[in-house]
Amino acid sequence: MRKAILAFVALMMLVPGMALAQSSDGVVTVVHGVPDLDVDVYVNDALTLPGFTYGTVTDPLTLPAGDYDIDIRAAGADASSDPVLTELVTLPAGANATIEANLDGDGGPKISVWVNDISAIDAGNGRVTVRHTAAAPNVDILANDGELFGNVPNGAEGVADVPAGDYNVKVTAAGDASAVVQEVPALTIPEGTNVIVYAIGDLAGGSFQLAVQSISGLHSAPTGVPSGTGGDLGSNLPAWLVVSLALAATAMVVGGVKVVRERS
Amino acid sequence: MRNSVALIIIGFLIGVIALVTWSLTHPRETVGDVTAFEQALTFSSQSRSRTTPTTTIPDAEDHADAATTLTDIPGFTIDVHPQGHNRIPVGLRIPALDKVASVIPAGVEPNGDMEVPANVDDVAWYKYGSAPGEPGSAVLAAHVDLAGQGPGVFFGLRDLEPGSTIYVDFDDGTTGVYEAKARKTYQKEDLPSDAIFSREGPSVLTLITCGGDFNRSLRRYDSNVVVYAVEARTGSTPFYDDATLPAGSAPDGA
Repeated sequence: MRKAILAFVALMMLVPGMALAQSSDGVVTVVHGVPDLDVDVYVNDALTLPGFTYGTVTDPLTLPAGDYDIDIRAAGADASSDPVLTELVTLPAGANATIEANLDGDGGPKISVWVNDISAIDAGNGRVTVRHTAAAPNVDILANDGELFGNVPNGAEGVADVPAGDYNVKVTAAGDASAVVQEVPALTIPEGTNVIVYAIGDLAGGSFQLAVQSISGLHSAPTGVPSGTGGDLGSNLPAWLVVSLALAATAMVVGGVKVVRERS
Repeated sequence: MRNSVALIIIGFLIGVIALVTWSLTHPRETVGDVTAFEQALTFSSQSRSRTTPTTTIPDAEDHADAATTLTDIPGFTIDVHPQGHNRIPVGLRIPALDKVASVIPAGVEPNGDMEVPANVDDVAWYKYGSAPGEPGSAVLAAHVDLAGQGPGVFFGLRDLEPGSTIYVDFDDGTTGVYEAKARKTYQKEDLPSDAIFSREGPSVLTLITCGGDFNRSLRRYDSNVVVYAVEARTGSTPFYDDATLPAGSAPDGA
């Protein structure tokens, strides 16, 4: 019983043609966000991630573009048994996607497919992406106590480019900055990197936590190197040239004056 | 009368000879094989997306340790060892220019330009890019001059000849020895910044400052002087000396 095909047409429009345009591959990361459930992940009926545990983020996998059957079974379950979750995922060429098993707002397991923003980031900046995939009410995301993303519901994400650096990040109940669900004292957003933070688990059940994925190499070059305001460079003539020209000028002036005097 | 005319002629000749000699010997806009550096760095930058090898189906073993939780995020401080460098440059010595300077990490101005130190005697290292010795182009920038401060560390950069030795001192006490290979004065709008700031490809030390014509009302030079150097230990680099260039392309400059 396959779920409806998840063809993310939007992906083609969202992923800019730059970095991977000529590649026939896509990149996939897998995130486990269902608490208390060790699973085996099958890709096209091949056991790919055995014993995949809650809170784990895989390294990025480069895969040929195409359709992939994703089946998730309890760890050790027979490969022919009915999967707990199943999804047919279409990976377009050039896409960078994350497949996540997580809880919906009511605490039921589901598979989410995310398109990661791999567009170029301005020099000096990093990108922060926050994805609410936990069984929890809407949240606010605060960076250095300022609101970064407000009233984020389960299944939604926020994306922002910020100056590279360390940020104090708080997840709070929506509209109540004092109701801190989770605090990260210093989350590093490296330059040219998209840091993707997943809220996972069940808040009421005590399994709420964060998982982090990062995509580097999205940097741009600075726009220029302004490195001079003095205007002294033009005077950088060699001394012998200055002396020679002075000598030449003196000779011509003296000669000229003499000519004029001798004529008068 | 005759003596006076002779004086004028002699003066004229001295002037012409001096100017001709100067024009033949003064530092050229481009020396060395600049194109090799631009191509090697630009090409690797464009191939960025191919750095991850294609995997068909991941191996179970590959992922046993792949878990990334929040505690795994490196705790480096962005201003000291950004991007997780093992060592960062703290000093620069160029005997041919008779210069010794401190190197300080620098980022980006609000307008997107690279930060360059306010002190004309300091050198900036682009902290978001490569450090010297790492793959890609390590960028060291300094002022050619500053209004009110006069000539800077890189005042003589446009005269730095290929073969000149450049020493980079690191924060771990080690020193890298580099050899200038090529130099070019680029109009600012033509600066190959994707190559100069490439974080992949051959390891290149890139020195940059301002040059060209100075606009006195804008207080701005119209060009950047760029010197490309490689580690001297090996004497040469594969991309520089072998046949990566199209046949018949001669080093720039005359």
